[in-house]
Amino acid sequence: MISLENITKSFGNSNAVSNVSFSVPEGSFLVLLGPSGCGKSTMLRMLAGLDQPTSGKMQFGDTLVADGNTGHSLPPADRNAGLVFQSYALWPHMTVAGNIEWPLKVAKLPTEERRARVLEVMEMLGIEKLANRYPGEISGGQQQRVALARMIAPRPKVMLFDEPLSNLDATLRVEMRFELLKVHAATGATAVYVTHDQVEAMTMATHVAVMNNGRIEQFDAPDRLLAEPASAFVAGFVGTPAANLIPIENGKWFGTMPDPLLRDQSGHAMVRAEQITVADEDGPRTFEAVLAEVVPMAGRFLVTGIAHGIRITAVSDQVARPSGKLRFRLPSAPAAIFDKQGTRIS
Amino acid sequence: MTTLLGPIGSALNKRGLTLAMALALVVLVAAPLATILVQTLYPSSAAWGDVLASRLSQNLFWRPTINTMIIGLGVAAGCVLLGGFLAWLVVMTDIPGRPAIAFMATLPFMIPSFATALAWGTVFRNGRVGGGGGLLEGLGFAVPDWLSWGMTPTIVVLIAHYYSLAFTVIAAALATVNGDLVEAAQMTGASRKRILFGIVLPVVTPAIIAGGSLAFAGAVSNFAAPALLGLPVRMQTLSTRLFGMIEIGQTERGYVLAILLIGISAIFLGLGNRMLSGRRSFATIGGKGAKPRCFALGGARLPLTMAAWVICILTTILPILLLVAASLAPSSLSLFSDWTLHYWIGSSDPAFARGQPGIFHNPLLLSALTTTLILGASVALAANIIGILIAVALTRQKVPVLSNLVSQLSFLPMLLPGIAFAAAYIALYGAPIGPLPALYGTKLLLALALTAAMLPFAVQTGRATVSQISGDIDEAARMTGAGFFRRLGAITLPLAARGLAAGLLITFVNVIGDLAITILLYTPTSPLLAVLSYSYASDGFHQFANAVTLVILIISMLATGAATLLRGRRRQSFT
Ligand SMILES: Nc1ncnc2c1ncn2[C@@H]1O[C@H](COP(=O)(O)OP(=O)(O)OP(=O)(O)O)[C@@H](O)[C@H]1O
Ligand SMILES: [Mg+2]
Repeated sequence: MISLENITKSFGNSNAVSNVSFSVPEGSFLVLLGPSGCGKSTMLRMLAGLDQPTSGKMQFGDTLVADGNTGHSLPPADRNAGLVFQSYALWPHMTVAGNIEWPLKVAKLPTEERRARVLEVMEMLGIEKLANRYPGEISGGQQQRVALARMIAPRPKVMLFDEPLSNLDATLRVEMRFELLKVHAATGATAVYVTHDQVEAMTMATHVAVMNNGRIEQFDAPDRLLAEPASAFVAGFVGTPAANLIPIENGKWFGTMPDPLLRDQSGHAMVRAEQITVADEDGPRTFEAVLAEVVPMAGRFLVTGIAHGIRITAVSDQVARPSGKLRFRLPSAPAAIFDKQGTRIS
Repeated sequence: MTTLLGPIGSALNKRGLTLAMALALVVLVAAPLATILVQTLYPSSAAWGDVLASRLSQNLFWRPTINTMIIGLGVAAGCVLLGGFLAWLVVMTDIPGRPAIAFMATLPFMIPSFATALAWGTVFRNGRVGGGGGLLEGLGFAVPDWLSWGMTPTIVVLIAHYYSLAFTVIAAALATVNGDLVEAAQMTGASRKRILFGIVLPVVTPAIIAGGSLAFAGAVSNFAAPALLGLPVRMQTLSTRLFGMIEIGQTERGYVLAILLIGISAIFLGLGNRMLSGRRSFATIGGKGAKPRCFALGGARLPLTMAAWVICILTTILPILLLVAASLAPSSLSLFSDWTLHYWIGSSDPAFARGQPGIFHNPLLLSALTTTLILGASVALAANIIGILIAVALTRQKVPVLSNLVSQLSFLPMLLPGIAFAAAYIALYGAPIGPLPALYGTKLLLALALTAAMLPFAVQTGRATVSQISGDIDEAARMTGAGFFRRLGAITLPLAARGLAAGLLITFVNVIGDLAITILLYTPTSPLLAVLSYSYASDGFHQFANAVTLVILIISMLATGAATLLRGRRRQSFT
């Protein structure tokens, strides 16, 4: 449904997005995940038609919506796409119903149908009681629902979201996540969702594009990101807790503990928290660490210690002794090894 | 921990400060207003009849009122158009040099309106009322009366003075629509026109109304422009009429006019307010992502840039340059030839300017200069001290009713035309009150009236500075056991020093540029610079008037520059 071919966007000399290609089928839920400033919003704005790519092609279905090489770009309204802004961008001088209705008016829908659609989406999101209030008179979570209702009322084939939940508190976020998925399922539209919260990505996405510095580090299904991270950046960014990246030097953990399994490699070894155990006594592949914190989680404990200046997290069934020192045991094989550039080598 | 101030301080800690401030405000603001009303009703209320319903009322009230209204509406419309246009360019488009334009557009308000009015005269005056023509006549054009005198020049000059107000308010509002709100509308496919009328204008309307009503209130109470440009052809406004009545001793009629003027200005400010409060609060939700996007002007960029700069230069630099030239040229017909410093430093010469010596040989000027500086400094100091005390009282001690009263009274002078306020001071303090002597004609009265008039601004500065210092910091000092005054001196004031100093300077600039209050209350033996300039101008000595005005402008510019430096560059947010 959405396919991008070598999309690049530059501001002056710097590329906010460089050479991005991917495609997702109709009805999928694509999440763009990455740290602040990596070009997520820029990608989304190009999909919306608010910005034009500097080069590369973008297609929605069979329609070419933008081609940076020829300068062709379909205006936002002709792309059949809707966008939910991070700031919601509700028009403050219109009521809730007015906000939802205005885009339909612009699209010249007959009055009857407009009314029916407004009612339908308000019911879908449970905001019919707020119809006559102004945006300034409703809460943040309600504003979020109104923004969502306004976006889906024209029934777009592509729904775009720019960090829509980041202004909400934790419980509302969970609730709205569910709400968004419901809307997505009900409309069957293709969604592109920007976030830097990897929990949102893991729970909602059918596809995830992890971005860093304007490039896509990995484009995959959420579970594959965890199982087979393509780069050290991805390995360190996804997962709760994220996997440990332990520096290795010429086949030695931390450059000091030789291990034939590392086969003389240098870079980082990825070791998941559940693969590391808290050891009682010295032994092979064990090392000492200074206890940093213990976080209870789902009946177990995340034990974090600092060794050689690196935070190492392990999952443990019992609480570590409060002596301030503890010992970790590494597994017999790391889950993955990355070279110094962060590229996966095994 | 008992200090001398201990008991007083602890009494003040509770509600004493609020009470003291309420008393001060009653004396400074409420009492004069009450007196003016009472004096027009007792012992006789004949003045009301004279003004409103007699053979004289046509000339006394109705015609001046119509003129006042035309000026007010014309200026409000002009300011909204001009200020709105510049605000749109600066906030929403990719016009080059936006910070510079934004800065220039806020300057005209710092130039006293009589300076702009005099500058108008240097170009457009015709010889009809004596004193010689201006630059255009010198170039051989016959300047028609409507362009030299009366309504048109008054309105134009006042627009040039007050559009800064509308600019500031509208620019702030436009900055909130810009970005996501407009893009959300673009996503729907709405045309530019539809976005402008459906989204941008409605969101900005409250600001337009606010800017318009501020300009209206300013224009109807302005004295300098109609006095300099209208009086020579007998065009009267309420403020010039009011001045005339008091000057010829018909004070009761003057008081009635003052009340009516206050009424008109209040009605319009109130109407503006009502229209605003009827609407929902349009505060938009900010946050990350609301990045302003600028609309590309394309081919219109060059002409619009030129237009913006022409407006800015015409209302700031050009009037000043014209005044400089006109203070040097012996003949107002040719501003740029035979320049002489006589009007500044020449000694009396019967063959020159009817024997008037240059302004620096006029003993009145030197005394006016010192009086102005001392008065400006002491009023600025007094107003800001009261301002900060009120701010402290309002933020730290919430006393039911009293706090509200203090807040309302301290804001009231903002709504009062200066000349009407001055009339109220004459009404109350013009005659002895019990053992107190009459203050009319003393500098003290002038200082009191100016202090009261500056209070709204001073309180605002005070509030800003006090709120900068969080309650925690004060509380931390309190934990050490320091008393109220000790905390004020050791903690609050040092932290607030920069903001306060800037506030002081701005108050000072406002005082030395004021004519509306001083013209009624100055002491003839030692007038102020603004009054001196006005009397030179009304006697036809234009070069001298321009020179004195330039002295005021130079002092103002130095003080404004210093205030801008003190405030830092934080205030320019249109980058
Ligand atoms: N209009 C612009 N002009 C110049 N540079 C820009 C512009 N818009 C974005 N950039 C730059 O492009 C890069 C990507 O910006 P973008 O807004 O896409 O980041 P983001 O991934 O959405 O970050 P965040 O999570 O903080 O929203 C940033 O380095 C930013 O400074
Ligand atoms: Mg972003």
